[in-house]
Amino acid sequence: MSDAEHPADESNPNVAQDDFEPVQVFPEADEMDLRPGADNCYKCTTCDSACPVAEVDDEFPGPKFQGPEQWRLKRKSDEDIDASVMDCSNCMRCDDVCPSSVPLSQMHNTARGEFVDERMEKLSREYVRNRILANYRTMAELGSKVPRLTNFVMGLGVTKLFNEKVLGVTSEREFPEFATQTFREWWDERGGPQVRSEDKRVAYFHGCYSNYNTPEVGKALVRVFEEFGYEVVVPVQRCSGTPMFANGMLNDAKRAAGINVENFSGLIADGYDIVASCTSCSMSLKQEYPELFDLDGIEDVSAHTYEAMEYLRIHEDLEGALADSSVPEQSYAYHAPCHARNQGLDRQAVELFRELDGVEIEDVGPSCSGISGTYGWKEEKYEKSMKIGEEMFEHMHHAAGEVGMTECPTCSMQMEHGTGYEIRHPLQVLEEAMA
Amino acid sequence: MPIRDDVLVVGGGLAGSIAALSAAEAGASVRLVSYKKSTLRFASGLIDVLGYPNGDGPVSNPYDALSSLPDDHPYSLAGEQAIRDGLDLFDEVTADSYRGSHTDANALVPTYGGTVKPTARYPEASAAGLASDARSMLVVGFRSLTDFDARLVSEHLEAAGVPFEVRGAELSFPEEFRADAKVTRFANALDRDEEIRFAGRSVGAREALAETVKPRLKGVERVGFPSLLGDEHADEVRADLESHLGVDVFEIPMGPPSFPGLRLEDALFAALDDAGVRMSTGNPVVDYEADGDELQAVHVDQKRRKVPYHADEFVLAAGGLVGKGIDSNRSRVREPIFESYVPHPSDRYDWFDTDAFGDHPFARFGVVVDDEMRVLDRNDAPQFANLRAAGAVVGGADGAAEKSSSGISLATGVVAGREAGASI
Amino acid sequence: MTDTPHVVVVGGGSTGCGIARDLAMRGLDVTLVERGNLTHGTTGRMHGLLHSGGRYAVSDQASARECIEENRVLRDIAAHCVEMTGGLFVQKPDDPDDYFDEKLEGCRECGIPAEVLTAEEAREIEPYLAKDIKRAIKVPDGAIDPFRLCVANAASAQEYGARIEPHAEVVDVLLEDGEVVGIEVEHASGPGKRVHRTPGSTEKIRADYVVNATGAWAGQIGEMAGVEVAVRPSKGVMTIMNTRQVDTVVNRCRPKGDADIVVPHETTCILGTTDEEVEDPDDYPEEQWEVDLMIDTLSELVPILKEARTIRSFWGVRPLYEPPGTGTTDPTDITRDFFLLDHEERDDLPGMTSIVGGKFTTYRMMAEKISDHVCEQFGIDTACRTADEPLPGSEDFSVLRDYMDEFGLRSPIGRRSVQRLGSRADEVLKTGEPNPVVCECEAVTRAEIRDAIEQSGSDLNAVRIRTRASMGNCQGGFCCHRMANELYPQYDEPTAREALDELFQERWKGEVHALWGEQLSQAMLNYALHATTMNRDGDPAAMDGAVDFAAFDGGVGVDASDGETGRSDATAADGGTRRGER
Repeated sequence: MSDAEHPADESNPNVAQDDFEPVQVFPEADEMDLRPGADNCYKCTTCDSACPVAEVDDEFPGPKFQGPEQWRLKRKSDEDIDASVMDCSNCMRCDDVCPSSVPLSQMHNTARGEFVDERMEKLSREYVRNRILANYRTMAELGSKVPRLTNFVMGLGVTKLFNEKVLGVTSEREFPEFATQTFREWWDERGGPQVRSEDKRVAYFHGCYSNYNTPEVGKALVRVFEEFGYEVVVPVQRCSGTPMFANGMLNDAKRAAGINVENFSGLIADGYDIVASCTSCSMSLKQEYPELFDLDGIEDVSAHTYEAMEYLRIHEDLEGALADSSVPEQSYAYHAPCHARNQGLDRQAVELFRELDGVEIEDVGPSCSGISGTYGWKEEKYEKSMKIGEEMFEHMHHAAGEVGMTECPTCSMQMEHGTGYEIRHPLQVLEEAMA
Repeated sequence: MPIRDDVLVVGGGLAGSIAALSAAEAGASVRLVSYKKSTLRFASGLIDVLGYPNGDGPVSNPYDALSSLPDDHPYSLAGEQAIRDGLDLFDEVTADSYRGSHTDANALVPTYGGTVKPTARYPEASAAGLASDARSMLVVGFRSLTDFDARLVSEHLEAAGVPFEVRGAELSFPEEFRADAKVTRFANALDRDEEIRFAGRSVGAREALAETVKPRLKGVERVGFPSLLGDEHADEVRADLESHLGVDVFEIPMGPPSFPGLRLEDALFAALDDAGVRMSTGNPVVDYEADGDELQAVHVDQKRRKVPYHADEFVLAAGGLVGKGIDSNRSRVREPIFESYVPHPSDRYDWFDTDAFGDHPFARFGVVVDDEMRVLDRNDAPQFANLRAAGAVVGGADGAAEKSSSGISLATGVVAGREAGASI
Repeated sequence: MTDTPHVVVVGGGSTGCGIARDLAMRGLDVTLVERGNLTHGTTGRMHGLLHSGGRYAVSDQASARECIEENRVLRDIAAHCVEMTGGLFVQKPDDPDDYFDEKLEGCRECGIPAEVLTAEEAREIEPYLAKDIKRAIKVPDGAIDPFRLCVANAASAQEYGARIEPHAEVVDVLLEDGEVVGIEVEHASGPGKRVHRTPGSTEKIRADYVVNATGAWAGQIGEMAGVEVAVRPSKGVMTIMNTRQVDTVVNRCRPKGDADIVVPHETTCILGTTDEEVEDPDDYPEEQWEVDLMIDTLSELVPILKEARTIRSFWGVRPLYEPPGTGTTDPTDITRDFFLLDHEERDDLPGMTSIVGGKFTTYRMMAEKISDHVCEQFGIDTACRTADEPLPGSEDFSVLRDYMDEFGLRSPIGRRSVQRLGSRADEVLKTGEPNPVVCECEAVTRAEIRDAIEQSGSDLNAVRIRTRASMGNCQGGFCCHRMANELYPQYDEPTAREALDELFQERWKGEVHALWGEQLSQAMLNYALHATTMNRDGDPAAMDGAVDFAAFDGGVGVDASDGETGRSDATAADGGTRRGER
């Protein structure tokens, strides 16, 4: 076990953990007062410079307005959150760039939740559509019971027409195919963990997409971790909540978070850390959970959640393990998802694989893919989503490889949609190298 | 396995990038750890070296004025050669995208406040706007951009005595945006040459803009715009406008968000990537481990977990008061990571001058270094044998008043990076 | 001389503006002169509390009764200046029970609605209150914008024919045959709206009567007339927080003491205050300990204040007065009552009356009393209407309108604009042109800035007090120059530049009291923007000597005149001193 796991001192006097404590202003309504968070803002506008939506959509006034400015201008009794908060895609790039640690995405999430609660008509097409998109897992669970039929139906023109005209879901995109065997079905079939360990234990948060759509990513994670001697467990879980935050469905998110926290927090005492293969899932468990909800064990879950490769880089000699490996020659155009950027993970795949024999890897730059989860699925946002993605598509075309790589399932949809490339997850390459 | 490199640089702005590149050039394996985006995003993108030594100026030759600076000024410590080396490295990194290397003389570049300011390197995009160029000038502004009024800028330039004729025109941008559209929206429309409806037909945004400006040309030889002419494809945008308009086009650097700054950030990132510098971004360095006077590691807070990053040599380039490399409270000023010595008056009412542009002690706050940029303690001894500092975290100069901030970042960055690399 | 008596009111604070309005409404010919902007003296330097009277309910019940009465009047006539926040008198464990009971009893005696809340109830209203509070009394305190109120009074006076002359300092009181017959003023520019770089002038303004409503400065005017008005100016500090930690006025419930009130004011909270007698209302120390005292003491009541960001501090001077011979030593014990000094009765000098003492909440009542007195001099018995007729902006005022659609503004911006403009919102915001936000911190649009410029000339501080532009967390770093841009083309470049410099320096003056933590970073950023990026501090246009442009880089192929090396004698290109104004 490496010394990296036990830094000298857990307490952290030097972190600028901007010391305001949001309080529940309206105890019955579950709303938070984030006005003091505006204290950190010195108006430098770096957040606006990083906002991929504001640069293609002038209806969106940018993260500074929607964050510290709107909050600072608010009085307790005000309820009229500006409707443009719904144009934010929750990419969280503003969080990543703000030199002054303004809790921007927390402000946006909270304001969006308030807007949906107070201002959005619950029978409106937009609300219904957003609710469906936000609860992808429910749809996926049904769909994956009869994957072939569902894939067939979803591919039908008439289904797409219905989705677009009635629900407001764009017909431009192909629905992700459901796997014929989900990750969990595979897991059960193989009989769960193949490695047992007292001191190397991880609990895998696979999220919805690896379970229903790309079980090969989940399988890669299991095999890689087992190769390093970890005992992997896969607790029962719900959606991480990411698409719900983005659509202001905080109640749905809280329910899902409740189940996830309950099922994972208990394992921590037994020496398990939590790993995720999706960077939005790890983001959600690490940051958004404790920011938005007050649940027993949520801080524990947050403090013990890692993205899978991040975990291995900290705890194992990953470079050493790959030093003598090689994989069949392949060039990759790598895109760092916004939520990976936010966790400081945007360079790890490039830095690891550029040393790996057989791999050519090129970072296609810091732009946003534009899909931002459910954002790019909305009929009215589709074009903006593609405009945002344009820079990434262009860079992918310029890059040597014709295979893309990213950690985020929806970024991967967008990359495929915009370039036609096959897209792989870093864990799949890692698995290949370790095999 | 611990994360380990030869040289670890804390901070990803101009100074940190230059330090990392210098260390890499010396053959070291380098990691750059940065938390949030640097002040480049709201700086002008101009590389000022020295324009107003000791309050006098503007001076045309920054090197001639060096000897008049106090002994504890970062330039006095780093020396003239370090400034030149820093500029050389900068020129290498930015290749054709910056100008000014053909002469030691400062250039006078128009500012969005309507003044001109002395600078040593300026983006190619601003090259046609130099104030020592006698060609007549039109300055264009857009009605919904409140930061910039082209008519005021042109009158102000006249008041500054510029040796050319200048006019200003405030126009409506040809594409109708909401009044509060961000400048990034303008730049993006030009960058992608978005198709828009203009004069009854569908044309690219660049052509439409040129057509909007054309009637106002009236024989001028160059046209200046606020710096929003594209982002990634800024060169193409400018070239297209020039070919439509038939005159040189240039940008006047703006306040935040600053496209020249963003473009420089991209250039630095590409250079770091090419040089094989590892970059860990998004998480703060919050603590360190030392063995006697040797730093062993810094601790990076990865969302509530401290992860040690080991190295043999460390460079602190975390910025000044704005970049949060220097912090303060009601009673004191501190460097938050290493608690390095930051000299400052104990009474906070002695931190400022009562004139807004007076001689502000706070502008000079920062750590103390020796001529190899080693961070010194209050007894003038190195705090650690292997800790250096560069950029705005280094005290002793009012870079804003002197117009020397970028030059100080380059000079201290080069020395700190080179010395760190050489110690491996 | 016409039949209508001409009255000169000296002092453009709340009292002076109130008097000017009252007299003008009663048909008198009124000229108001003020040496600075409206509110320049004490009015612009207070915490904006609309008293319920609760603060005086124990010590000064007469004042308390006046307060609750005027509180109700102002809610009617100045709706767009008032926010009815409610107020709490909060008891901490070491605050005496007796006093709490006396306070409650006093409120009831004075007709101030008062309700006792448990600690839980109080913290439900204000969650940031300290956890150890014992209980609280809830009273109808409110917040009022003194700038807006004063400007509205002056605007109303103007509508009734008054002449309003800010930036007109009285340099002499004109006496003829032992009688006051007018004043002499020095206009900074003008007369009329202030325009920078317009030469000043002096003017003798003859009047049938002069009202000295200069508050803490009343002694100085008195001296010019040869009478003694012994005002006892007392300073108090106020510290402005960046955000509203409380939405209710929070008072400490204890007998007396410094730093015992937090007033939510627009986007901010104002902490107050101290009470210390000063010699000269224009020259007194502004000290660190006073700011520290506000934060340290009030954070006992609202702990988050300890770490919260303050954006500036300012000091105000109370115009305290007590009749000769009273001999109170502690200024906190001097009565808050007002005194009408008729210099004919008192000093045998006909033609002038001074009004001193008093407090902001009762300004209208004071104005009524003195207007009655003035009218009496001329045998006019027109009734006062200021308690019934709404101020401009407060007629049929309602914020429940869809400003989004009407004005194309996003909701918090539209909401704040309409709150500031009241019933003038239509007239100001419907311009039919792009209306971008100029001050982002306070959500002030171009239309509102332009409207204020229309009212007050090139004086950007006057624009500031009308709109709140540059009063937010960046303290003007990001909007002072934008405000100056709006002066063009009505005013030329040198005027806009001078106006900008003046506003920028004014903002700095108060911000220096908040220079640590975020606000020091903000100050450094502002400095970098204005010095590094704009080079406003080294502006060749503001320098004495000319710049030798030829000595600088003229581009590739256009070498600087000193040749390839560029090693010229630095002094050859020396354009003068950077800080030209020194």
